Parts: sequence; structure tokens; C-alpha cells
Amino acid sequence: MKAVLVFVLMGLVLGTMGMGQVLKIAFDAADLKTLDPHYAAATMDRAVVDMIFNGLVRYKPGDITVLEPDLALSWEVSEDGLVWTFHLRPGVMVHPFAEMPEGYELTSEDVVFSLEKAADKNRSAYAGEYVGMTFEAVDRYTVKIVLPQAISASLLLPKFANYSGGFIVPKKAYEALGPKFATNPVGTGPFMFKEYVPTQKVVLIRNERYFRGAPKLAGVEVWYMPDVTARLSAVITGEVHVIEGVREQAWVEAVKRYPDLTVDVFGPGETEVLHINMTKPPFTDLRVRQAVAYAIDRSELIAAIGPDIAEPLCAAVPPYLAGGMTCEEVAQKGLLYEVDREKAKALLAEAGYPEGFEISAYITERASYRKPFENIQAQLAKVGIKLNITVVDHSSFHTLIRQDVNPLVHYEAWRPSADAFLTRFYHSASRVVVGTKPDTNFSHVTSVDGLIEAARYELDPEKQIELWKEAQIKLLEEVASYPLYILKFVFARTKKLDYGYELKSSLALYPPVNELTTLK
Amino acid sequence: MSRYVLRRVLVAIPTLIAVYTLVFLFIRVAPGDPAVAALGDYASAEAVQALRERMGLTAPLPVQYIRTLLGYFRGDLGCSLITNLPISAQIAAALPHTLELTFAGVLIGTLLGIPLGILTAVKRNRFPDYIGRMLALGGISIPAFYLGILLILAFAVRLRWFPVMGAGEFSEPFKNLRHLALPALTLGIIMVSFVSRMTRSCFLNVLREDYVRTARAKGLAERIVVLTHALRNALIPVVAVLGTQTAVLIGDSVMTEVVFSRPGLGKLMVQAMLQRDYIALQSLILIYAALVVFINLLTDLSYGIVDPRIRYD
Repeated sequence: MKAVLVFVLMGLVLGTMGMGQVLKIAFDAADLKTLDPHYAAATMDRAVVDMIFNGLVRYKPGDITVLEPDLALSWEVSEDGLVWTFHLRPGVMVHPFAEMPEGYELTSEDVVFSLEKAADKNRSAYAGEYVGMTFEAVDRYTVKIVLPQAISASLLLPKFANYSGGFIVPKKAYEALGPKFATNPVGTGPFMFKEYVPTQKVVLIRNERYFRGAPKLAGVEVWYMPDVTARLSAVITGEVHVIEGVREQAWVEAVKRYPDLTVDVFGPGETEVLHINMTKPPFTDLRVRQAVAYAIDRSELIAAIGPDIAEPLCAAVPPYLAGGMTCEEVAQKGLLYEVDREKAKALLAEAGYPEGFEISAYITERASYRKPFENIQAQLAKVGIKLNITVVDHSSFHTLIRQDVNPLVHYEAWRPSADAFLTRFYHSASRVVVGTKPDTNFSHVTSVDGLIEAARYELDPEKQIELWKEAQIKLLEEVASYPLYILKFVFARTKKLDYGYELKSSLALYPPVNELTTLK
Repeated sequence: MSRYVLRRVLVAIPTLIAVYTLVFLFIRVAPGDPAVAALGDYASAEAVQALRERMGLTAPLPVQYIRTLLGYFRGDLGCSLITNLPISAQIAAALPHTLELTFAGVLIGTLLGIPLGILTAVKRNRFPDYIGRMLALGGISIPAFYLGILLILAFAVRLRWFPVMGAGEFSEPFKNLRHLALPALTLGIIMVSFVSRMTRSCFLNVLREDYVRTARAKGLAERIVVLTHALRNALIPVVAVLGTQTAVLIGDSVMTEVVFSRPGLGKLMVQAMLQRDYIALQSLILIYAALVVFINLLTDLSYGIVDPRIRYD
């Protein structure tokens, strides 16, 4: 009788805690791409790998401004800043896989293997982050990383965090699974891979031996549902618990009408920037670029999207990153380019275009790019600039803009540091087509290389921030681009779901699910 | 008949090669890069180039063309450029769901479309005819994805009779049927529209024939005239429409699978297109083409069942 009572009570307690429940998340995607964390780039893939893998350090769940220990319990740096030593947490178990059904303990050998993989361009998309670094297993729980040149902690630690190349891939599992690893990942995180049903879902189950304690959920199913009406219908009927929403105020307001649902609008948000190609006439003339800046009204763009979801961006690096600039700082420098269409027309006339001019540009069919670009088209028309738009699919857009066909490129991006933002978008090596490492410098600006490189190797955090800001001021003076706004992320969920932390910002661009997440 | 079937199969081979050639060329002319699509915009140009090489996209086009074609002759559809999974395994998992959906749509279309067509023909220019024609026109005009959304909102969200998403397991027939109901109805309504309009039109022609007038003059009941004398003769064009529409329905299943989040060839195809997964897309379109060829063959063979006078020499 006692045993029965204990059983019933345990059932009640576990039921209250949400134990045994499977959380279902639906993403705006038709299928996964890869679950190899060193290649995963899309939100729906990052969402899965984030639950399966760990980094040496991790961003505090729900708050990307704080880094805390993950697989490494502590770390130190040599006086010359060239050698970083990480001390691993003992007893971390790798998930079981066919060849090792009991799993095994993760050691420095795995960490070194994983970092070498992340640094290998044939096995990682993020190899560029680790150029020149060497990795060494000092003992079972100690890893030494030697840098070719000292960099600050704010630039180094994100490379070893739970993001992109920083996810630790267990050596024996990767070697045993080979190419299958991309659709059958094995890690150390709170959830373990169970099944992948192509074009439908990925099923994860609880890792009972997770080093922070067994998750409260029994598992997680990640569903691929590209149709937003279907996603919303599914969360209304309770068939899924969380959905990727639409980043528009109207959608948020519509979902708020359902009493059982809540909408999370969270950061860090992606930067939306209009890059101006300084090599294509008439944008070779600074006055024309200034005219474009004065013709555009940020507040109009933000009003169209919604004040909860978009906020002004006034410089190349968003203010939530170290080295980013607020609109107030930019205003103090007199570089805000507040809308003044008469001034824009005067600048155009001065540059020899009193009647304006006509240009053509491609834009992707994705609403978050297309709609604001159409808005910009209407705003530019008010000063006589006729912008003809050709809408193409997203993949074509990315190919075309990298072929340097657009005089104006509207680009949506998230990068983890000021260095990444500035290097990828404004270093001369990153110029599309002609750069030595062609990337996403669509404006072809070449004047801030020195500042970017000086900041990268500056160890004094304050000086580093000043250098980054100096580069941004120069970019604003040259109007290499016109920063528009920051677009936040929108997810809807049932009120029964508790993430287990306060969701302010998420690096993986989705609300992370961890061992503390519960379904009431 | 076996010689006829063999001849048709042999004729299908160059058709399929032509389809493959066109698809191979067109998708490579279109802008977009599978390596960029796979890695996202955060990956460096070096990583993109390394992946492009690993994907075999740096080989000359004729080499890529021949390599894939030879693979097809060996029965090897290749591996997805994005997930690296064998495409044949993905198709094997998805095809039953697409066939199930298409078959259910055709079944609904046939079982409701033919009686509705007969009814509207027999009651020509009367109330049932007006209603039937209006419904058929509506069904033809409405896109499958929109109809699917309407059905979801009515029967899944408001009434909660059916699930919104997924396909259910074949091992659980009842659950599977509940998942199938709304997507099958979506395709079925479209099919009903085409079949009923064709049946009505053919029936009206047949009802004017001398042998029908003779049957009526002999004093046969109208039910016997319609179902015994007129129906069989009116069916041949209807069977032709069924064949063509089944092929069209497989195409419509693409959006239906997306809206209802069902696994299937359609969803695979959408993903392959968005990701510029050349290998997967080529193979999938080839499978679609093969299905259309097969359905056309079945349609031609079924003429002989409907009308025994037809011979396959």
C-alpha cells in the first residue's frame, strides 16, 4: 500500500514538474541542413545542436552579455596573452552511440580533436576563426591553446563558446559515425539525438547523465513547418508548444489575442543595413551617398515593422556588443543623417543630378528584406532616385549580391563581435569579387583596415572599444552604408512552457531549451 | 499487350533522359549556389569554396552530367548535397506518403466527381446543375495551398476534428487516416471539380446519341439508360481526365504537403529547390517524370477495360 502511495505521489510531483513531457518546437523551415555544429548556420539547425553539444564556455541562457563556464570549469591566460589554458570539468559523459553504447568520458583529447576540426576548412565552415592557433592536451583535463598573436578575452572566448566552431564534438563518436554524423549527432548536452524523419522532424531525448543534472523534459521534437498559418494553427491546437513567428507587429498583436499563448520578442536581433556600393556611379560621389542617407527615414521603416520588434540602428556595430555605438553617440558626432529630403535634393543637384537618377537592384523574396526595401524604394523616389527592384529567391539573392551586381544591398546579419561585423562588412580583404578573401564588403570601402586590425590586437578593452568606434565614425562620414534598424526575433509559445530562465537575448537566435525547461 | 507495354517503357527512356538534361541545364543556369545555401552567410568564402569542391561542383559540367547519368543507369540516384543522405532512401521514405495522399485525392475525386457530373448532366439547367457547376468552378479556381489553410482553420483549429500537421505512422491506420483526411480532402475537392465537369460534358454528349434515344423509346427506366447505356460510353474521356489530373494532383501535392507539414516528395522537392540541392532536385524531378509516364501508361491501359473494343497492338 505504501509503495502504491509513494508511486502515486511521485507521479503527481513529476507531473507537476513537467517530467515526461515532450516539448515540440516548429521552425520556419522545410528540413534541416546539417547537425554537424561546425557547419550548422541556419536557425533551425543551431537550435538542435545547441541542445546536443556544449562549448568550453557558454553564454548564460537567455542573456548573451554574460559568459560562464561550460565544459571548462576555469581558464587562465599567460602574461604575453599568447597561451590560454582551459581546465575541463571531470565526469562529463558523451552520449551513447552504436559503437559505445555506454558513452565515454569527455577528455582533453576530444576537445583538441574538436578544435582542430573547427579550424580545418575541409571539416568546418568556421575555420577562419582559428587561423594560426594550435591546440594541445596537457593532461586528461587540461587544454592549452596557443595564439599566433594575442587578442582580448572579449574576442577570444566567443570562439570557444557554445556557438559555431566552439561546440565540442567528441572524437570517437565523430570518427565512428563518419559522414552520418551530420544527421546523427553525438555530443554531451542535455538532450541526445534519437531520430531524424526527413522533411518532418528531429527527435531528441533527455540525457539522464547530463553534468548539470537530468533535464526536466523527457525530450524535444523539432518540427519543420515552412507555412506560418500551419505553425500558428498547430500552437493554437496544442500540437506544438513553441513556434517561430513572423517579425511583424501585426502578427504579434494577432497572436496576443489567444489567451493560452504568449509572444516572446527577444534580442540580440539582426542588424539591417543598406550598403552603398562606392564603386558604382553615381555612388562614387560622397554627396550622392549622403543624399541617400538624408532621403531615408528610419522611423518610417520601424513604424512599418512595429516598435516592439525593430529599434533604430545608427552605426555599423549594434550597441549591445562591446564597441557598438548608440544613436545618442552618433548624434553627438553629428552623423545621424536625420531625414531631410530638401537637403538630399540639394546634394543631388550639387552632384549633377538635379532630376535624380535611376538604378536597379535585386532583393530576396523574404519579407524581412523585401518589404523594407520596397519602403526604401518609395522614400528614395521622393528625392528623385528611381530604384527598380527585381525580386528573386533567397539563394539567388545571396549569389547575385556576391557577384557585385547591386548598387544598393539591403543586408540582414548577426555577428558575434564588433571585430566580426567590421571585418566581414568593411575590411578591404572582404570586398565582394575583388577582395583577397571575398566576403560581404558590398560598399568596397577600404579606409578602415588599419583601425579594424589595430582594434583586433589591442588588449586594453577600453582602447579596443575606442578603435572600433573610430572605425564606425569614419564609415559614417564616408556613408559606406546606412544603418537602418535592429530586427528582433519573435517566437510564440503556450503559457504552459517555462524556459527556466529569463529570456532577454539568445545567441542562437531562438529561445534555447535546456535542463531547466518545463511544461506545466 | 505485353509488347505494347514494353514499347512504351522503351519510349519512356529517352523521355526521361530529356527531362534530366533539361533539369540539369536549367538549375545550373539559375543563380544560387548549394554551398552558400548550405553554409549560410556567416561562412567564409574559403569554407564555401572547400565545400563546393567536396560537393563535386568544381568538376566540368559535362563530367557532372555524365557522372549522374551513369549513376541513374546503375540505379544510383546519388546523395543530397546538403544532408549527404542517399536520395533513394529519402525518396523511399517519402514516396509512400505522397502516393497515399494522391491516391486518396483521386479516390475522393472519382467517388464524388463522377456521380456529381452525372447528376448535373441529368438535371441540366436545373437547381442541382447550377449548384454542382458553381461548386466545380469554385474547386478549380481555388489554389490547393489556400484551400488547405481554409480546411485547417475550419476543421483543425475551430472544430478540432483533425490534426494540423504530420502524417502519422502507417502502423497506426486510424491515426494515419486522421492525418490524411484534410490533405486528401484538399486534393479531392480539386479533383472532384475537374472530374464532375468532364463527366457532365461527356454525359451531355452521350445523352444526345441515337442509342440513348432508342433505349428511352424502348421504355427503359431512366436509371438504366443513364447507368447502363450512357455511363460506359461517357467514361473514356473521363478516364483520360483522371489520368491527366492524377499527374497534376501529384504536382499539387507539393504545396499540400508543405501546408500540412507532411513528409513527401513535394516537401523534399521544395527543400531541394530552396537549397539548390542539384543532385536531389534532378533525381526528384526524374522520379516525378517517371510517375507521370507510369500514370499515362496506366491510363492508356485502362481504356481497354472501359471499352473492350480497344486493342493494344
